[in-house]
Order: sequence, then C-alpha cells, then structure tokens
Amino acid sequence: MLTLIACEAKMVARDTAGLIVPIGLPLLILVTSAFSAGSEEIVDGMTALDLFVMPLVLVVVVASIGMINMPSFLAYYRRSGILRRLAVTPASPAMVLAAQAIVSVLQAAIGIALAFVVASLGFGANPPRDPWAALGVIALTMAAMYAIGMIVAAIAPTPNSAVAIGLVAFFIVGALGGMFGGRQALPGPLAEVGGWLPFGAAVDALSAAWAGAAIHVGHLLSLGVTVAVGVVIAALLFRWE
Amino acid sequence: MISPPLQKVMVEGRDFRHARVCPPFSTFEGMSSTETAILAEGIAKSYRRTVAVADVSLRIEAGETFGLLGANGAGKTTTVEMIAGLRAPSQGRVRVLGLDPRHDRAKVRQVLGVQLQQAHLHGALRVSELVNLYRSFYPNPRSATDLLEMVGLSEQRRDTFEHLSGGQQQRLSIALALAGRPRVVILDELTTGLDPAARRRMWATIEGLKHDGVSILLVSHAMEEVERLCDRIALIDAGRIIAQDTPAGIVAQAGTDSLDEAFVALTGSELEAAE
Repeated sequence: MLTLIACEAKMVARDTAGLIVPIGLPLLILVTSAFSAGSEEIVDGMTALDLFVMPLVLVVVVASIGMINMPSFLAYYRRSGILRRLAVTPASPAMVLAAQAIVSVLQAAIGIALAFVVASLGFGANPPRDPWAALGVIALTMAAMYAIGMIVAAIAPTPNSAVAIGLVAFFIVGALGGMFGGRQALPGPLAEVGGWLPFGAAVDALSAAWAGAAIHVGHLLSLGVTVAVGVVIAALLFRWE
Repeated sequence: MISPPLQKVMVEGRDFRHARVCPPFSTFEGMSSTETAILAEGIAKSYRRTVAVADVSLRIEAGETFGLLGANGAGKTTTVEMIAGLRAPSQGRVRVLGLDPRHDRAKVRQVLGVQLQQAHLHGALRVSELVNLYRSFYPNPRSATDLLEMVGLSEQRRDTFEHLSGGQQQRLSIALALAGRPRVVILDELTTGLDPAARRRMWATIEGLKHDGVSILLVSHAMEEVERLCDRIALIDAGRIIAQDTPAGIVAQAGTDSLDEAFVALTGSELEAAE
C-alpha cells in the first residue's frame, strides 16, 4: 500500500496543471483579498483576514482538490484501463481509491500549510482560536468535497469532461459560497442558498472555529448530508470500467 | 454442457466426423483438480444480443503451455477475461488451480499472472517505478533487475511509460505479469507489435518459464509462435472451440500439411498475419 501511495503521489506531483489549481488559485485569492481585507479588529483580536479570507482560502484548497483534481485522476484511470490492469493483480481498485484519497489529503495539507504560512508571514494572519474545531471542519469539508468529486468521477466519461464538470461545479458552489466578494454581495435568496451548500457552509463553519465561536449545527449538517448523498450517488453510478 | 467425444463438424461440405472437437473429460477422470492449472467447463458470455463466447471447454494441465488460436473477434480475449476473473461467465464455470477466479479473487491473484492485450499502465511513472509498484503486490516477487533483463528493458528503467515505444510497453506489461512468480500465466497476444529480435527474446523467456514448470495459456493468432511454444492448442471460431489437440494432431485431423491450412480447413477463414 505504501508503494501505491508513493506512486500516486508521484503521479500527482508530475501533473503540473493539477498542482497549479489547488495551490496557485488559493494563494492568488489570499493575496488579492488580504490587501483589501484591512487590519481592523472585528472580534477578540481577529481581523477580516482571519475570519473571512483564511476560511475561504482553505475551503478553496480542499474543494479544488476534491472536486477537480481527484475526479480527473479517477476518470483517467478508468478511461486508460489502468484500473482494469490492476484488477488482475492482488491490488484492488478500492486500494487505488484509498491511495488517491490519502494523497489528496496530503496535497490539501500542503496547500493549507502554504496558505497559512503566506498569510501569517505576509499579512499577519492569526491562527484559529479553536484549532481542533477548525481541523474537524476541514476534515468534514474534505469528505464532503471528495463525495462531490466521486459524483463527478461517476458521471464523467473522460478525464477532460471530469475536469470540465468539476470546474463548473466548483465555480457554482464557490460563487454561491462567497468566493467572489463574499456572500453578502449576492442577492438575498442566492446568499441564503449559498450558505446551505457545502462550500458556503464550510466557510461559515471554519469562520466560527477561527473565532472560537460555536459552530452552527446546520453547517455541519449540510456537510454531513453532502457526504452521505455523494457516497450513495457515487456507489450507484460509479463504474470501474 | 460437455461436448461428446466425437462430433460431426461440417465445413464447406467436408465432413470432419472424426475431428475431436472437445476432448472428453472422461479422459482426465481420476486426475485431481489441483493437477489442473486451468479448467473451463462450458463457459459462455453474451452481451444482450451479441454472443461473444458460445461454448468453450478446455483443461490446461500443470506445467503445460496451451495455445488459444483464432482470428480477431473469435472470442479469444473474452474467454481469457472470464478465466482471469475480469468477466463473469453467463454460464459454465472456471477454475484456476482449483479456485474460482471470481469468488476466490485474492488467492487466485497471488498465483496468476496476466498480460492483457493492451498495456494499460500509469503514463507518468518510470519503468522502474512501475516494476516496483507491481512487485509490491506480492509476498515473494522477482527482483526488478531480473524482470527488466527478462524483457530487455534494463536500459529504459528511468524512462516513463508514455515515452516507451509500443513494443517496449508490451514487454513491460509481460514483465509485470511475471512479477509475482506466478504458477499460472495468461499471455494475450504476447508478441504483437514486437520486432523479430524482441519476439525471439520473448519466446526464450516463455521457454524458460516452461522449464520452471509454469502453466501458460497463450492467446495468439501467430502460427509460428503457437507451433514453437505450445504443447497443445485449441482453435476457436465464432465463440466455440473447433479443435483441441497438439499442433501436429490438429494438422493430422484436418488432413493438411500445415497448421495454417488446418485452421483454414476447420474454420473456413484465414488467420490474419501477426503484426
């Protein structure tokens, strides 16, 4: 299994385009948003950078890996026949999926760490008041985005279509979740919907964890339901060949 | 359904009444199933209205090299996929060393090596990385050096799979099939796409496996290859076994001078030349 994980990591590392989106895009959003966030304290020493920008950036890291990167790899494996080739060995397609998930977690961890280092050193960002709650929300968010990614992988016939569908889904939930200027800039009904979708729910939950405040149960429920629905749909639709 | 010992086979009006279409399994009664490397009894595969394999029965003994010869679309690959456990037969049963490749998947995968017709491997991984990946699936694999030497890819160990030529990719696929020291090996179009030198090298590798007692199912449409390597062969046409015997036995049954002519006589069609 370790060798499989190492090979999966090499595959991901050698996919240049696959690295730019989950690493480069969040950093771009961080830098452009940090300059306009200001240093005014909002609550308990926390600024807009801490409470709004950092949660948004971290969710972008996780969402881009789960909804764009991972489905494209699975679609590639299926289209190219790699899963079929592995099916005649003691390795199972499930092992490949597990290795992909582990590498995705590592990739997300690197993206998150990089974003936090840049935010801290470049813009004076503060760490979350409740780090364990923040980690828990990130983990749940990862599961939710991965579940959406499995649906994308299930319905996309080719790697290119997986990227296309993943990008569309990513930008829709991202836009409704406040990726472009915050949800308060959206019309009321859209902002409301965005808050219940997994991207917006994750940003709000992470923001609460960053401030050390109680996390709204509804946000956690939204992420949990996304995981459940994603798993069920993927199980029904996903084909290894 | 097991075919009777003698069956009338009419091809272009010629009666091959005495052709042994399927060997009677009574011939092998008394032999334990563990002495049989591969057993397929009346396997068939249909996709909606398409019958890919109608009725195939064959038995490959331990240490035997058995050839499955047929034209494109005859049902060779589907037969092999059912034996390898990649597809469930619509009817019939398959055993590999006495194990069901669908239900005893984990055990079968430890003793069975399969080289598929198309080499589907991770394009961005290097040859050495792929070899070590596939070796990691087995408890007692061959060394990476041995595997690469067997297929003549020692110089390409740092090349990525996508940058290998078609023949090199094929040779790597064969090496990976042998990574786990399998007791039974399925090779689908072993030398398709290989140059003559590489082809002979592969034949030498197969002869080495035979010497080691490995049971081999060789799928091919190259006459010279099956005549050289196989102890027995089966001719398959339209999803059915038409003849099953030693190469010389089939030539004698058909009353022809060569296996080529025997194939044409028994199936009524030409076999495309190997690439």
